[in-house]
Amino acid sequence: MKYDLIIVGSGIAATALSHRILEKNRNASILMLEAGQKVKMQDAALWQDYIVSGKLPYAKFNDRPYPERDMPGQNQNIGETVVPLAGSRVMTYGGSTIHWGGWSFRLKPEDFFMETNTNTSINWPIDYDTLEPYYGEAEHYIGVSGDSEDNNPPRSSSYPFPAFPYTYEDSSVAAAIHALGMDFSNVPIARHGILSSTSFNAPCKTTGTCKYCPFGARYTATNFLNHMSDEKDYPNLEIRINCVVNTIDMNAKNKAKGITYYNKTTKETLSVEAKEIIVAGGAIESPKLLQRSVSEFWLQGIGNDDGNVGRYFVTHPYFIFTADIAENKSLKQPEMNFPTLCTRHFDNKHEQAKGKFILVHPPSSPQIDIAELMKSGNSRAEIDESIKGANTVQIHGMVEIFSEFNNYVANLANAKNQIGLPQTIVDYSKSPEFNDRMAYIQSKVERIFEQMDAKIQGKPTISWRADHSACTCRMSEDPKKGVTDKNMKLHGVDNIYVCSNAAFTSTGAINPTLTLTALSLRLGDHINEKLEA
Amino acid sequence: MSTKPVIHPLSQNLDTIEVEVFDTMFRLFEHIGVYWQNIDNSEPYRSELYVFMQNRINLYPIYHQYYKAAFNTINKMIVQMGEQACYQEIFTDPYANLPPVDTNLSIVRQKVSNEFIDFQLSLGGFKSFGATNYPGYIGGALIPGQPVPYRTMEKKT
Ligand SMILES: Cc1cc2nc3c(=O)[nH]c(=O)nc-3n(C[C@H](O)[C@H](O)[C@H](O)COP(=O)(O)OP(=O)(O)OC[C@H]3O[C@@H](n4cnc5c(N)ncnc54)[C@H](O)[C@@H]3O)c2cc1C
Ligand code: SF4
Repeated sequence: MKYDLIIVGSGIAATALSHRILEKNRNASILMLEAGQKVKMQDAALWQDYIVSGKLPYAKFNDRPYPERDMPGQNQNIGETVVPLAGSRVMTYGGSTIHWGGWSFRLKPEDFFMETNTNTSINWPIDYDTLEPYYGEAEHYIGVSGDSEDNNPPRSSSYPFPAFPYTYEDSSVAAAIHALGMDFSNVPIARHGILSSTSFNAPCKTTGTCKYCPFGARYTATNFLNHMSDEKDYPNLEIRINCVVNTIDMNAKNKAKGITYYNKTTKETLSVEAKEIIVAGGAIESPKLLQRSVSEFWLQGIGNDDGNVGRYFVTHPYFIFTADIAENKSLKQPEMNFPTLCTRHFDNKHEQAKGKFILVHPPSSPQIDIAELMKSGNSRAEIDESIKGANTVQIHGMVEIFSEFNNYVANLANAKNQIGLPQTIVDYSKSPEFNDRMAYIQSKVERIFEQMDAKIQGKPTISWRADHSACTCRMSEDPKKGVTDKNMKLHGVDNIYVCSNAAFTSTGAINPTLTLTALSLRLGDHINEKLEA
Repeated sequence: MSTKPVIHPLSQNLDTIEVEVFDTMFRLFEHIGVYWQNIDNSEPYRSELYVFMQNRINLYPIYHQYYKAAFNTINKMIVQMGEQACYQEIFTDPYANLPPVDTNLSIVRQKVSNEFIDFQLSLGGFKSFGATNYPGYIGGALIPGQPVPYRTMEKKT
């Protein structure tokens, strides 16, 4: 049988894309192949286990840490900057949104014009206006709660659900930001609200265990896939788990025939054919699959004649600034598990050349952990004192980093991970300007802390974890500069698409997944037109 | 939440929790509220504690043993030192809180009492410390026209 579509991977990109296609054409034949297996969702025992032990049932589908002297580990980091893969993605049915935070920002119009505005990198081959309607649809598809009055960036539709009001904990940060003449805004967040119609997504009940939501109120592709396969009438949607796609097979230089995969359950290696191949394995695996699909037509892997596949690898450094406060008289405590306040004040055209950044007030600031205080044997009086006395507060954030040719990901020969996927080589070195940029950011954060009567503890902790990895098959109209075109189709091949953060041209200062979803919905329309033709 | 719970294969054939074991565990749970003065009346949580313990056993069969061991240890300690001193020691002995879990007291502390603390706070025990919501507590949805289920910037509910 020849499918209309084979999709490699089952994360949000695969799920949103297939949802879009099947909504218009319920008979489309789609084979989705996922290397990982299923995790039980909304289970009371697993939820309580998370509450009392912090254990997540999908942690075993993460990468292991890099090898250390006494530990075999997994993958190889060969660059100057350690970019951990461990914890940065989940290789499971439904992919990484099983553990994402759900922060759902849009890029800003200037983000699409990096080269024009800064003389560095390249422009996106599409602009904000092209993506804007899809952003709106993506917000509805995911179920984002946000402030529909916030018009920066501009929006033509409302969020499906109202924003979560700022928390009491946000008060001092908000006052400080305001006093400094800056603006702050609600964090648009993928949490379902109340609907007048019935929905398989329960509304968020502010339970605060979002990494394993007991109600399915935070978008996870897992729940949406279950809904599509169990509740919807899509006769030709097939999802096979435990199936690792090894290669994409070509008929000719510009035509893919299908793929070859290994079924871990039956221990068979099988080939299947399709009209269109969608690579939606995330920004690490997608380029690796293209690289290892070597044939007489593509000696260095598909789409890789110019050696760009896997290059321009980038992620967001996530920084945490901590400061001391002398007292917490109003007994502020963590009441939520997701942030409600951020400032995009430094996410503007003026900051673009050096690296835009956003600041977020995390829900764990002040950092009070009553459970830990009790378990450590503190008395009631000691705990009360600890809550209202000296404490620490935090400001988190992300800064845009420019993607560079020298930074890349690739397959590590002859080494597989526990999922059966080839292990990864990561080569990343931060730019020499990065430390100066962080010093600048620190100067801005210090002013906010000063306004709060908080004393900064010093430099931030910075995580380079590959959570937001992107640009490894970047879009460009120029095949010499990019791997994919404006529809995320591989240059030089008529029927292979990369539906992933890998296709981003640059990342802006914000989390990528809303943009990825908008791009997936847009690709769905493109594929539907192609299938109809 | 899901109706078909996850059950470890070894948990399927275990006996249900014995009445006297559960009673002792419930007394321990009650004493958390007494010691930290954060829940006056734990009675309404009796059945929730039972389900919680059953869930722990379903996930990890060894909890059946942990609860039995805790039952024996607590009752022996009460005979030796009286109720108040027994719970005080369970809640505060610094060595019982150190991993690994290799003594009877450390089983009671780390596998039972500490977990009950997490559970008790998520059931509402956090409220007496001044907050309206807490990670693990089902605060409630944002319903138009109704109070927000956590303290907000505008209004300290
Ligand atoms: C801790 C954390 C928090 C995050 N929070 C946010 C946030 O708040 N907001 C935001 O916008 N983003 C966030 N992200 C990023 C977000 O998770 C990703 O952008 C998003 O999940 C990517 O989706 P995807 O479908 O492209 O890939 P994934 O969801 O990673 O799915 C890819 C799937 O493909 C499978 N696969 C790969 N290769 C193969 C193969 N060869 N054969 C078969 N299967 C294969 C994998 O097993 C995997 O399941 C966060 C990430 C992390 C790690
Ligand atoms: S706050 Fe609670 S209900 Fe809302 S998404 Fe998180 S865990 Fe789910």
